[in-house]
Amino acid sequence: MNYVIEVEHLTKKYKSFKAIDDLSFKVKKGEILGLLGPNGSGKSTTINCLLALLNFKQGHIKIFGKEMKQDAYDIKQDIGVVFQDVAVFDELTVYENIDYFGGLYIKDKNLRKTYINEALDLVSLKDFAKFYPKQLSGGLIRRLNIACGIVHKPKLIFLDEPTVAVDPQSRNNILNGIRKLRDDGATIIYTTHYMEEAEMICDNIVILDKGNIIAEGSSDELKKLAKIEEKVIVEIMNFDDKYLKMIGKLKNVVDVTYASSILTVKYNKGQNNLVTFIEYLKENKIEYFKIYSERPTLNDVFLEITGKELRD
Amino acid sequence: MFKHNIIYSFKLLIKNKVLIFWTLFFPLILATFFHLAFSNISDSEKLNIIDIAIIENELLDNNSYFKESFVYLSSSNENQLFDTIFTTEEDAKELLTNNEIVGYIVLNGDGPSLVVKNSDINTTILKYVIEEINQNSIIINNTLESSVNQNTTINDISNQIISYLSSSNISITDQSSDNVDYMMLPFYSLVAMTALYGGILGVAMINYFLANMSSVGKRVSVSPTKKSILILSGVIASYIIQLLGISLLMFYTSVILNINYGSNVFLVFLLGLVGSLAGLSFGIAVSSLFKVNEDTKTGIIISVTMLGCFLSGMMISSLKYIIDKYIPIVNLFNPASMITDGLYSLYCYDNFNKYWFDIMSLLIFSLLLILLSITSLRRQKYDSI
Ligand SMILES: Nc1ncnc2c1ncn2[C@@H]1O[C@H](COP(=O)(O)OP(=O)(O)O)[C@@H](O)[C@H]1O
Ligand SMILES: [Mg+2]
Repeated sequence: MNYVIEVEHLTKKYKSFKAIDDLSFKVKKGEILGLLGPNGSGKSTTINCLLALLNFKQGHIKIFGKEMKQDAYDIKQDIGVVFQDVAVFDELTVYENIDYFGGLYIKDKNLRKTYINEALDLVSLKDFAKFYPKQLSGGLIRRLNIACGIVHKPKLIFLDEPTVAVDPQSRNNILNGIRKLRDDGATIIYTTHYMEEAEMICDNIVILDKGNIIAEGSSDELKKLAKIEEKVIVEIMNFDDKYLKMIGKLKNVVDVTYASSILTVKYNKGQNNLVTFIEYLKENKIEYFKIYSERPTLNDVFLEITGKELRD
Repeated sequence: MFKHNIIYSFKLLIKNKVLIFWTLFFPLILATFFHLAFSNISDSEKLNIIDIAIIENELLDNNSYFKESFVYLSSSNENQLFDTIFTTEEDAKELLTNNEIVGYIVLNGDGPSLVVKNSDINTTILKYVIEEINQNSIIINNTLESSVNQNTTINDISNQIISYLSSSNISITDQSSDNVDYMMLPFYSLVAMTALYGGILGVAMINYFLANMSSVGKRVSVSPTKKSILILSGVIASYIIQLLGISLLMFYTSVILNINYGSNVFLVFLLGLVGSLAGLSFGIAVSSLFKVNEDTKTGIIISVTMLGCFLSGMMISSLKYIIDKYIPIVNLFNPASMITDGLYSLYCYDNFNKYWFDIMSLLIFSLLLILLSITSLRRQKYDSI
């Protein structure tokens, strides 16, 4: 099979704390695999194990069909990594940083020059080539961080929460860049705790919680696990709790909650749920401010399986 | 690949203001400090001939070098430093009470001891000279022992003593002239310390490559560039800075401060350079082998350097001889001792065997540490980063 990464029974302990528990998954060539999970679920630990930076208790890791080891230089040549922490030298300019890290992979000076310019283009940092990291905003530093990791055109790219704490403009720039890398043929492992991002760009998603895989599949496959098909959300100022029971008994409704002026009604199937519910509100003379319907999100999947919210 | 890494390692180090201060400028500040301390002395107090006494006893009679040295330094010529009376202890005590001498020397089993009433520049000089003479006498007595075994004549021995005396670095002459050898000692220490402080550069350099020390270290660690290439290019880059440091120190002390290193100036410089390599290697080894944070690593470098300098006799000269006598293994592996030994040997021996031996020891010491570091880092994985 054409798997770029094969992980089998990976278990990692920090002293006595089990950060990763018997993890197995595979990554297909050319896909963006999302590792989605709340903070502390073990995403970074998984990546550091895959990169042979961390010792682990048990398990096997194969990359490009070969066992991944600290001195597997041929494998490393084709990997690019963007770590969660910004890893650039304050003493070097944007261009010099990319050149330094690129030089660890590419010896040919002219080829490197071409690649650096392409990397600068990808993250739109051309105008900042001569700037020092201290002179860049948070979002721009993150983009530099990415450029340093992918300048050598790796076949496999690890991105560990590359969009944490960035402005929307930089975030869009980064997500588009990642798509472009995939379209150019790279396989990508993308970790995030933002489910919207995972939904937007990942071909397949592995949901992690407390070091365990709790679900995996494409975004659509996963949403089926949420056991709901539609949510109707209503903003109501003074909602009388006595209606809750009644609403719960309406057709197709599986769950209803009211909190912070928001009424959420979940349906397991059916059409026209929104229209029907508007009728219901009118009949009972319940006044509301705003009403809309939503498809289930990965958060609902997470909630369904773990009983807690994915967002922090 | 090498060139790329050397250039960037150099850029990173040279832009690190803290490192540059300690390796390039701090030695100059110390040199200035030493210089001021000594020139003040000569300005404020015209050097007089110092009246001293030496207690006659059997040990003194057996240590002809020690005795001859003081006789030589007390003979009335332009080099005269002391006016020495050889007398009994009781007599000396009385002379001291009456301020007719600044102090008296007793030779006993542990070496010479000095009795003074109060300390001033004269007693400081006296102390210096006693230590110098004592060290030389130990070296000479050892040499003599081996000479005697080879059936040399008494004449040879006294010739040897005379040659030592004439080339001796204790011939303190005129304070106003440049050639005041005892003033050199702190500057030799400075050369050795500057060389060994190169370890700080080694620590900083290696930390850039370690996944558990810096985030850039993680990036470097997942790249296909071998640790050996990274370390060797880091060594070369740091070494260039060390070379600048030693050159700057030698230039500053000899040209600006007018310190005269004598005819051996290039050998002093060479030893400084080889010592720098040893310092660097030591830093690299500490950084590679100990899993502690950067400040602790730097702390290890500084305290080991200080301890090494201390054990090699930089502050208390006689300590080195005690250690050489009872636990020689310590100074055998002490780079500070190798450097100071080498520097001393330039003045204490007629040939350079000991000097080259120390150069070789330092090179081997460096090579071993670098190999050890590369081996330990090659397959390094971490329990936690
Ligand atoms: N160096 C470490 N030592 C001890 N525990 C750690 C260490 N790094 C992470 N952990 C713990 O392991 C778990 C997983 O952490 P991490 O992989 O960083 O999660 P994520 O990247 O998903 O936020 C967390 O509970 C975290 O506290
Ligand atoms: Mg993380």
